[in-house]
Amino acid sequence: MALSRPRARLRQAPVLTALATATVLLAACQSGGTASSASDTSAKDDGTTITMWTRSPTAIFSQTLIDAYNRGHRNKVKLTVIPADSYQQKVGTAAGARQLPDVLASDVVYAPNYASKGVYLDLTARVNKLPFKASLAPAHMKTATYNNKIYGVPHDIDLSAVFYNKALFTKAGLNPDKPPTTLDELYADAKKINGVGGGAHGYFFGGACPGCMLFTTWPMIWASGGTVLNEKGTASTIANDTAGKVYALYRRMYQEGLVPASAKNENGPTWTQQFANGRIGIQPMGATVLQTLKEGPGLKVGVAPIPGLTGGTSSFVGGDVLGVSSNSKHAAQAWDFISWTLSKDAQVDVVAKNKNITVRTDLADNTYAQQDPRLATFNKLAAQGQTPISVDFGKTYNDPNGPWTSTVTDAVFGSGDPAAILQRHNGAITESLSGNG
Amino acid sequence: MSRPRHRAARSAGFYSTSTVLAVLFLFPMVWTLFSSVHGRQASGRGNGWGIDDYKRLFHYGSGLPAYLLNTTVVALITVCVTVVVTTLGGYAVARFDFPGKNVLFLVTLAILMVPYATILVPLYVFLGWIGLQNSLIGLGLVLAMFQLPFGLFMMRNSFEALPVELEEAALIDGCTPTGVLRRVLLRGVAPGMVTVALFAFLAAWNEFVAPLIFLTDGAKFTLPVALFNLEAGNFGSVDFGALQSGVVTAAVPCVAVFLLLQRYYVRGFTSGALKG
Amino acid sequence: MVSLSPTRAPSRDAPSSPPRARHDVSPLRRGHRRLAMVYATPLAVIVAVLFVVPLGLMVWMSFNHWPLLGASAPNGVTNYRALGDPLFLHALWFTVKYTVVTTVVLGLVAFGLALLVQEGPRGVGLFRTVFFLPSAVGLASASLLFYGMFNTDSSPLNAAMRLLAGGDVDWLGSSGNALISTVGMITWRFAGFYMLILMTGLHGIDPVLYEAARTDGAGWWQTMRRVTLPLLRPTIALMMVLSVTGSLLAFDQFFILTGGRHGTATIVIDVYREAFLSQDLGRAAAVSVAILVGLVIINGAQLRLLRRDS
Repeated sequence: MALSRPRARLRQAPVLTALATATVLLAACQSGGTASSASDTSAKDDGTTITMWTRSPTAIFSQTLIDAYNRGHRNKVKLTVIPADSYQQKVGTAAGARQLPDVLASDVVYAPNYASKGVYLDLTARVNKLPFKASLAPAHMKTATYNNKIYGVPHDIDLSAVFYNKALFTKAGLNPDKPPTTLDELYADAKKINGVGGGAHGYFFGGACPGCMLFTTWPMIWASGGTVLNEKGTASTIANDTAGKVYALYRRMYQEGLVPASAKNENGPTWTQQFANGRIGIQPMGATVLQTLKEGPGLKVGVAPIPGLTGGTSSFVGGDVLGVSSNSKHAAQAWDFISWTLSKDAQVDVVAKNKNITVRTDLADNTYAQQDPRLATFNKLAAQGQTPISVDFGKTYNDPNGPWTSTVTDAVFGSGDPAAILQRHNGAITESLSGNG
Repeated sequence: MSRPRHRAARSAGFYSTSTVLAVLFLFPMVWTLFSSVHGRQASGRGNGWGIDDYKRLFHYGSGLPAYLLNTTVVALITVCVTVVVTTLGGYAVARFDFPGKNVLFLVTLAILMVPYATILVPLYVFLGWIGLQNSLIGLGLVLAMFQLPFGLFMMRNSFEALPVELEEAALIDGCTPTGVLRRVLLRGVAPGMVTVALFAFLAAWNEFVAPLIFLTDGAKFTLPVALFNLEAGNFGSVDFGALQSGVVTAAVPCVAVFLLLQRYYVRGFTSGALKG
Repeated sequence: MVSLSPTRAPSRDAPSSPPRARHDVSPLRRGHRRLAMVYATPLAVIVAVLFVVPLGLMVWMSFNHWPLLGASAPNGVTNYRALGDPLFLHALWFTVKYTVVTTVVLGLVAFGLALLVQEGPRGVGLFRTVFFLPSAVGLASASLLFYGMFNTDSSPLNAAMRLLAGGDVDWLGSSGNALISTVGMITWRFAGFYMLILMTGLHGIDPVLYEAARTDGAGWWQTMRRVTLPLLRPTIALMMVLSVTGSLLAFDQFFILTGGRHGTATIVIDVYREAFLSQDLGRAAAVSVAILVGLVIINGAQLRLLRRDS
């Protein structure tokens, strides 16, 4: 903080308390909640400028949809991209100031929190009028529903899957059509790829990015039969041997140099860059990354389900939901945009065309999905993956200062038995999930 | 060792030590300046000189002109409010007796005792009540408030240092105190006002945490907050070139103003306002 | 270029106490009471509205369940349980560690610089200006500048370490490294500022005392111990108050350099987190009140040291 602000010496300041108490009465007039327009179902395209926020990993996806909308509508959507790390704080400060944008995208894991705390406008009546309501991605709808009221609709599905570089597989003498099906195989493959030289590494992960870590390692635990969170999302169950073995494997790969040293400090913004440059053999990432990868002689992208220790597969079904903020003055215009993003035009000709998964199950089998087997893999995973739900998810798991960050950093980069480390941190995670801390 | 030789050795020691240290102190700034105009990112080619970093910075987010304008507006509000309020207040406290004078003086100085960061949360709530959240004016006023103790002390001392006789004569001649202030005293306290303005400017221009909390609309961000967003990265990479050009852009006005007015800066230290 | 020199400013040793009723207020001026109050009004209004009210509000908020959105209600001292939170305790421990290291390192470096450039041959003013120059750069800008130095391949810091240590250094990758790197950055940023404060103090020491010490045959170290340091105590105490307060309230540097990762969250980052991440302004206010009380006590103790000798 500003040390340059000089401070003078002061002898006493007793007056303060007296004057301070005078303000106590003022405190009573804090503003209450906003009027809900739950019964309003209108949508308007009248040339209004609609503001929207999204987090940086979703930026390209959102912008692609917005460009298509702006071309064909009188309303114009203006997107502000906010760094993923500071998204929660930014929404927090803006929500308290009632300065949220009209349309607010939110990581699905934050959605239960925002729905329960009054960040979003109740969209129940509007969503009920959608003819395809039943086919909207169920996991997303569940996170955006609170007390039987719907506060958001799916924006994008970003599920985690193993990405592997077929070019490096071939170079290392591996079969490019045989991705690893167990974590043991994954380790062996990574080791072989590490041997090809030319700056290539077998594996990569965002070691300082708590969201990246849970997104890619939890499916390994799930696929091996372990759990991380109880049903209600109020207690951590990660202190189990299965999870211990997963992080022990990560530590081993890091220590043996199968992973670039920079993984330890990779806090998210650049965690896909090395794979995109063709320098990484295997890396679990989100499905939306596929749109951004440019294939060439050094990079041929294959995707596969994330395996467990000895088999099985799973996925973290993440992504974002879209809602209208509770302080928006353009709810009808915002809904015009949001409902359009769910239309067949948008889902097939924009979303699927750009190699993304549609958020409507009735459109999953579209022409683009039929052409690209990787999309078919994603669609299959969407059905079997998991989406953990907890009101305090964001501050517990995604915040770089939250208890999960130190847990996973210690488990992967620390010393001592990873399972014991998980055991030691488990209490702090549960404490945070239960609404304290 | 004879005296002149001794002195020569000492001064050689001084110059070599100081030069090494000076290089160390200047190095980070010079390197940042250099890499903002040199290299692959800056030139847009393999290597060499170029201003591509500045071009990308120019178009980043709401655009560099918007961020510079916001920062300037906040700094101007802070400087103007601080100077006007502490000049009037300093005059009143230095030259007159009025009820509540000591309380006012003490409470103003108490601002220094209250750690700046701790009061930001209630200020955030309170600015919301009075409609000054997400407002450059609100931010400028808050930053000015934090400058009041130093400013008031500085201005009170400036007024007290002026001879009373000058003023008495003018008063007897029929001037009102306002007339005296305007025609006689302002010239005398002008250096003090420059010092107060300089401290307020440097603080406001560089402030980070208050705009981070108070400003929510991306188009209203000040330069330090916009640069922080740039650092946090977008689209899979951090644009270090643009970041370095941003650091240079943010630092140049401060360094320039300081070099021009350093005499007045030092006055802030020697006037006793610091040690209070 | 004007050189930085405390001697150039007109010496204006003002009384260091709040104003007493002055005896030289003439009868002429008594008539202008009301006008004086008008002059003081803007000051009073800003102080009352933007300082006193929020301060009271902070205390009130700390005794309320006060979510970011929605209605608040009194909840006694529940919010103060935030002080027992493991995350807060860890942040407190880290902040204290940082404060001690910074204050010692910065103090020694600044003292060295002040002695070096207090007096000297031609050009000494130029060196003063150079040492001070980083202090004109904002703390956030300085943090971003060093973020670039720590993180880019082309950075000379990394090039130098590759030569010296034979490999890249993980400047911010662990609690210890981040602490050392940040203290280095802060030293660069603030050494000139504290140098200027210490020079002001050194300048206030009567040269006669040095002359006396020399005639007594005292060496450099003895002069330092017997004359300079004792007389500089008030200035050193002032420097400590500034450095301790500034370090305990550290936010910008860690928020920008590490984001609080690797256990480098400070207590102010914890307040920010409670407020806008946990969306609990009441708990944030409770932690704020605790920090305020703690700082008043610490500064009070340090000022006692300052006053005893002045």
